[in-house]
Amino acid sequence: MIFPQGASIRTTPAAVSETVYDVVIVGGGICGAVTADHLSRQGRSVLVLEAGPANDLDIKDYEAYLTEFYSAASKDNQSPYPAYPTSPMPRSSDAEHRADDSGYLVQRGPHTTDTTYTRVLGGTTMHWEAKILRMLPEDFQLAERYQQGPRWPVDYADLEPLYREMEREIGVSADVGDQAYGGITFPRDYVFPMKGLPPSYLDRVVARDVDGTRVQLGGEEFELKVRPFPQGRNGIPNPAYDHGRGFVPVGAVSTHQVEEGERCQGNNNCVPLCPVQAKYHAGKTLSRALQRGVDMLTQAVAHQVHTAENGRVESIEYRRYRHPGSTEFETGFARGRTYVLATNAIENARLMLASGLQNRSDLVGRNLMDHAYLLTWGLLPEVAGTGRGTNCTSGIVDLRGGAFRREQASFSTDIHNDGWGWATGSPITDLIQIVDDGTRGFDLRRALVDRISRQLLMAHMIEVLPERHNTVTVDPAFRDGLGNLRPVITFEVPDYSMKGAAFARSLSKRLFARLGVEDFTEYPSDQYGFVEFEGQGYRILGGNHLAGTHIMGTSPGTSVVDDVQRSWEHDNLYLVGGGSMPTIGTANITLTAAALTLRTARHLERELAKQDQPYELASV
Amino acid sequence: MTQLDTRLPAQIRTLSDLHAYLDAALRLEHATIPPYLTALYSLHPGANSDAQHVIRVVVVEEMLHLTLVANVMNAVGLTVDLTPDDFVPNYPAHLPSGEVDFLVDVQPFSFRAVTTFLNIERPAKAPSEEARLLPCPDLGAGTVLAASPLDPSVRYYSIGEFYEEIDRGLRYLDAQFRLEGRELFVGNASHQVTPEYFYSGGGEALAVVDLNTALRALTVIAEQGEGMGGGIYDGEGELSHYYRFEQIQLARYYQKGDIPGRPSGPRLDVDFDAVYPVAVNAELADYPPGSPVLEAAQRFNQTYHDFLVFLTEAYNGRPDLLLEAVPWMFRLRDDINQLIRNPHPTREGVNASPVYERVPIDRGETS
Repeated sequence: MIFPQGASIRTTPAAVSETVYDVVIVGGGICGAVTADHLSRQGRSVLVLEAGPANDLDIKDYEAYLTEFYSAASKDNQSPYPAYPTSPMPRSSDAEHRADDSGYLVQRGPHTTDTTYTRVLGGTTMHWEAKILRMLPEDFQLAERYQQGPRWPVDYADLEPLYREMEREIGVSADVGDQAYGGITFPRDYVFPMKGLPPSYLDRVVARDVDGTRVQLGGEEFELKVRPFPQGRNGIPNPAYDHGRGFVPVGAVSTHQVEEGERCQGNNNCVPLCPVQAKYHAGKTLSRALQRGVDMLTQAVAHQVHTAENGRVESIEYRRYRHPGSTEFETGFARGRTYVLATNAIENARLMLASGLQNRSDLVGRNLMDHAYLLTWGLLPEVAGTGRGTNCTSGIVDLRGGAFRREQASFSTDIHNDGWGWATGSPITDLIQIVDDGTRGFDLRRALVDRISRQLLMAHMIEVLPERHNTVTVDPAFRDGLGNLRPVITFEVPDYSMKGAAFARSLSKRLFARLGVEDFTEYPSDQYGFVEFEGQGYRILGGNHLAGTHIMGTSPGTSVVDDVQRSWEHDNLYLVGGGSMPTIGTANITLTAAALTLRTARHLERELAKQDQPYELASV
Repeated sequence: MTQLDTRLPAQIRTLSDLHAYLDAALRLEHATIPPYLTALYSLHPGANSDAQHVIRVVVVEEMLHLTLVANVMNAVGLTVDLTPDDFVPNYPAHLPSGEVDFLVDVQPFSFRAVTTFLNIERPAKAPSEEARLLPCPDLGAGTVLAASPLDPSVRYYSIGEFYEEIDRGLRYLDAQFRLEGRELFVGNASHQVTPEYFYSGGGEALAVVDLNTALRALTVIAEQGEGMGGGIYDGEGELSHYYRFEQIQLARYYQKGDIPGRPSGPRLDVDFDAVYPVAVNAELADYPPGSPVLEAAQRFNQTYHDFLVFLTEAYNGRPDLLLEAVPWMFRLRDDINQLIRNPHPTREGVNASPVYERVPIDRGETS
């Protein structure tokens, strides 16, 4: 079992209403799971309010997701998961129309985001790609070093040990030699829990011509090198891990192993779902917490955070739907000594705003960030085995940092093993075209292989800085089927990022020339994500690396939460996840968000212990 | 393991005796793989998820056992060979352990197949020291691999007793070698298959370097198999094969605290109809010359043979090759799938089935 039998139905709304938990967590994704795991370890009573059904999610349910995915015509990253007509998850196709309000997200423009997230236990880690980068030390000092973005109240040195702990939890596969760049440091003798996954053949073909390329930028010279990414998926456990004690992957024995994760087989559909659970998902952490007796109430969508006059949260009102798709619900209240909102940047902000909570800094919902992705694609002159390996194994990360960040965004370039899929809908679109051309039989198979196995897609992940006017808000005019206010998104890709995008485009032209790649990149102006910058058109896609809507800082006037993600204005309320990050650099946010959450969990552990100490009565 | 008991009588008195036993153990661990694999892939995709996982775990663990036996052989400086012409039994076969009251078929998944699996994995400790070795009658049908590799006229009471003999032999030889001022465990340590090469393999691939680790490797095999350790769970807290299979017949999962025969966990749903009716104990000769099914069967047989050659190389100093075992298993699965979804050309009502022939075919003949 991924989850202990009956764990998700162990408690009832009636039982919940009679309990005051040490911690009430909203959301069963990675940040909720890390919090629940850590505090249940300390013997704390924990409730997880989960919006998805997740009843007895076991291996059969997991496989049902797979069957759903295999049979789905559109293989987008929501395709395995159930649809909820009452509060639909955003799908990538929702964003096809500008300023659309027919989906769950209400998009006010001027640019649209194709962000998705997932109402399923385990959250977005169910469909993430599992590249798991650390932020660069300079990413925490963008303000100090390059006069960009707000200041961080913590730095790389604070997070380094927490990064390591999360790398253990996630079971990261990587080699330190590959990851020590851009100022990233590790303690002496550190090795990742598992050895780095091998680069794909495509990576090696690209590296052959890209390695050694010299780039001038911001008065500095950079030498490019194709480098493997750290991966949150099972590889070869490193016997040297933990000072020679080795690493045991989650479930690396027998039944549990089969059900909780084999070694990565390169199935190439990490997004939206790993067929063999080689990829980490939050369920692996959450199942342990549930085994320890954490309560979970499913189908319970947080509706309002209720506070007392002193600002302390008194309860979370939830709406528990009868069955997916039903607009009937019962109302319940969850009470705790402390509360943790762990529903990612958009939903955390949405819930805060929908609850009308105090917001002196006027920053709740502001500074919405996501990485801006610019795709470039073309055909290699030789068959490079595209379509094999996991979605993405290597990339070019030399431009993640540098003095040029005073002027323009940094970026990191992924080499995609799944070909043009993201850009053009390949291989389906290729198949249709080849069939339309009248090619049949063996020639059809040959043509398809030839067309796909030469495809090169570079995805340039560009830094986006926080901007006040990029917001999540709510509007009583827009409610979901359960009467909850829907998120209204206003988003514009900042010029700072567009400068980075323009540079990435020109760099990729140069790299394509070196590789002999025939460039097929085009950005039609009628496609969503189209952005014009300095006379050129680009198509900017989202990375689902949501952040910034409740940024942390050193004062209540300039931030929403403090350095332990505690709300400045609500003493017993914590907002965890990417939303707390003041800047996002060029690392997918999960590792940093999880490391920050672990920091919060540690703080909560101390905070609860402190509260448990008997008061010393002043002697008269 | 502090006191090494060498008083119990053992058949194994020399290194060459030990070699014969370990070689038989290697054959024994392998002998179950063709029947388990065939039953596994005979299940309709998408159906019988529970049964599929149960069988899959067991197959993976059998491969671990194969590897552990190889590690023991390597540790004492013996050579591991999975390529002799008679390495793959001729099914229906008696188990190389010497148990005689049942035959092992290569057959589709069914209640009867699971019964055979239970027979293979049944926990059985001989009632007395004298009953461990029994006379071995003329078995007639099927492969009869020597029960006692040293004396074809006797057989062991069970697989557990067979391994018990190797356990005793190792203790005896180690003590004997020490008396003579020699070292039994002189194998090349770089030949050991360690966890980094065998992750995801149903337990830890234990490096064997001395008597203690050798005995532990054997304990893992015995406990994972039939639960010789005494309970339904092995030392690692994992359910033994016998009880894993029994769950299918009893349609319920075991959980911690259960007693044998009385699983109290969640229901295990089995659909015995959602199975491809593959032919039992198919042979290449069953398929008409020139037929695509013969071609597919030959291809599979060759892949399987190549796989054994590959494993032999991996066990003889190239443990890193095992990292490629995953694509190999995909290849085997794909080749089997090409057979089991097609009707048998000469047998009514059944589908084609993979053939595991003893003698590898010559690739030149078939293409």
